[in-house]
Amino acid sequence: MTSTLIIDGLRVEVAGKEVLKGFDLQMRSGEVHVIMGPNGSGKSTLAHALAGHPGYTVTSGSVSIDGVELLELSPTERARHGLLLAMQQPMEVAGVRPLDLLVAAGASPEHLRERMDDEARRVELRPEVLDRFVNVDLSGGERKRAEMVQFGVLRPKFAVLDEIDSGLDVDALGAVARRLSQATTEWECGVLVITHFKRLLQELPPTMIHVISGGRVVATGGAELSETLERDGYEPFRVTND
Amino acid sequence: MVPISMKSFADSASLFIAERSDAPSRQVAWEAFEFAGLPTTSDEVWRYAPLHDFALDRFTVVAEPKSAADSSFAAQLCERAGLAIRVVDGFCVSSGVTVDGVTVEAVESAQSLSGSTFTTRYASDTFALLNIALAPTTTIIRVAAGVNVAEPIVVLNVANSTSSFSRTQIFLGRGSSATIVEYFEGGADALVVPLSEYEVGDNASLQLVTYQRLEATSWHVARTTGFLSRDARLRQAVVGIGAHYNRSRNDAEMLGAGSENELRTTFLGSGTQVHDFRTHQLHHGARSRSTLLSKGAVADTSRSIYTGLIEIEKGAKRTDARQTNHNLLLSPGAHADSVPNLDIRENDVMCAHASSVGPLDELQRWYLESRGVTRDDAERLMIQGFFYEMLANLPPQLAELVERDVTSVLAAVNVVTP
Repeated sequence: MTSTLIIDGLRVEVAGKEVLKGFDLQMRSGEVHVIMGPNGSGKSTLAHALAGHPGYTVTSGSVSIDGVELLELSPTERARHGLLLAMQQPMEVAGVRPLDLLVAAGASPEHLRERMDDEARRVELRPEVLDRFVNVDLSGGERKRAEMVQFGVLRPKFAVLDEIDSGLDVDALGAVARRLSQATTEWECGVLVITHFKRLLQELPPTMIHVISGGRVVATGGAELSETLERDGYEPFRVTND
Repeated sequence: MVPISMKSFADSASLFIAERSDAPSRQVAWEAFEFAGLPTTSDEVWRYAPLHDFALDRFTVVAEPKSAADSSFAAQLCERAGLAIRVVDGFCVSSGVTVDGVTVEAVESAQSLSGSTFTTRYASDTFALLNIALAPTTTIIRVAAGVNVAEPIVVLNVANSTSSFSRTQIFLGRGSSATIVEYFEGGADALVVPLSEYEVGDNASLQLVTYQRLEATSWHVARTTGFLSRDARLRQAVVGIGAHYNRSRNDAEMLGAGSENELRTTFLGSGTQVHDFRTHQLHHGARSRSTLLSKGAVADTSRSIYTGLIEIEKGAKRTDARQTNHNLLLSPGAHADSVPNLDIRENDVMCAHASSVGPLDELQRWYLESRGVTRDDAERLMIQGFFYEMLANLPPQLAELVERDVTSVLAAVNVVTP
């Protein structure tokens, strides 16, 4: 079944300052959308607001999956409706094991460890790392890949990946891109990638690229847009507004 | 003066000591106890103890262990051990199977591993004096030099009578290693006063877990001391769940250069429980290291106290001592106090301490929720995590068993999110 994620006029404040100023985006199952933009443009704010981070206040707008308004739901319910955020800086949760987290998150316990190990191998993460507590004693790159294990097990309808490529070497980056690309066909996952780098997109062909600046989308286009960005930087797209 | 309320306890104690007239140190300790009397809440170190509802006369010193079936948890714990030693009401009733390089004996002893007598060593500790006078025996576990004991050793301490004074000494010879679990259960309406000492020889490594699961009506006043030689390692985890009043004093003396102590203590308070943790890390040897992590949670109207002292002697150069205490409040009626202390007499050291009291970390909870975990489950996972972290030293087959036990206890605790 094809699902639709609609973000409409989203405005978000952080510590009393408006960062997202009417963000719009629409995407469907199996599509890959990419958000690129300079530092401070609101990329991570979007990711955090979608997942209901307590430090981010939505002042207006709507986020829905198949007509269900997510902003009225708790972070837990948003995840259960099919939205998963893979974080730029995944948190350490000492004393909690990845397997217990996934069971509590609703993953079927059947062959769970095998599925986790399989997902780990697909992103070139040593499965033993999953014996450790969530993100504790993991390198930056291992944390990113551990997020991908959760992604692969939980199989969300839509995944938001906030700079999943930072901290990964070229080989790991390729593996993560391939895993995401496969997900778009395996269960028609809709993939929303926030990134600075074109490299991720070599093995994860984008349906659409959105350039964000000053808290809203200022340009949308196909893969060619990333070439323009690579060449000219964000300056031509920069907007100043307050 | 012996208060009237101590009289019938005193009668049973006198009888117990009279039957052991070949051990005069018992009478010396008893007289020291009588002279000192029970502490009162005006003593700073007993300030938080519910001494108003404590009366020695509710307890009787027993002449022999009372037999009763162990819990199924205790049975499983012993099954998974390479060697299980069973101590009932302080009497060593079984010293288990023979393991190469390990000897177990129960002896009449007045000698502390500190080098002095027990009575001298613990002269200012009222409850330790009771143990010195009234523990039926000292259970001594020796691991020979160079021996790496592969399977864990379990010391099962069961309190079936109204009083239980157990005393344990563990020696690790040079270059040896072992994992030992001291487990406590039973203790309904009982006074349980264990005293343990650990001597870790040069370059030896002892992993120790103390798991206290006494009945909620017991008084538990425990004291442990580790003595560490050159390059010795003592990794100790103390988990306190049961008892009406749970007092646990855990000391370590880093005597040798390069010795290392890691102490983790954790507790879960519910009902009207009081958890009272005291630690003292003494750095004598140069380049010695201590890491202390105390984490606990209090629910309902329970309360906790953590008081830790790091003492660095002159000459203990380049020592590194860290102390961290986190307390979690699970209800508005619960209370936690944290009192870290430093006493440093050497300049060339690294020393740090941190403490906090508060609710669960909001962002960690959100992280779990954002995966689809409900708030209740997220909180339980995080609280359970306090305990799981403590068990990280245990071999998996034991950790899994204890984790399941902790989880079952947690399921019954009422968490009120602020």
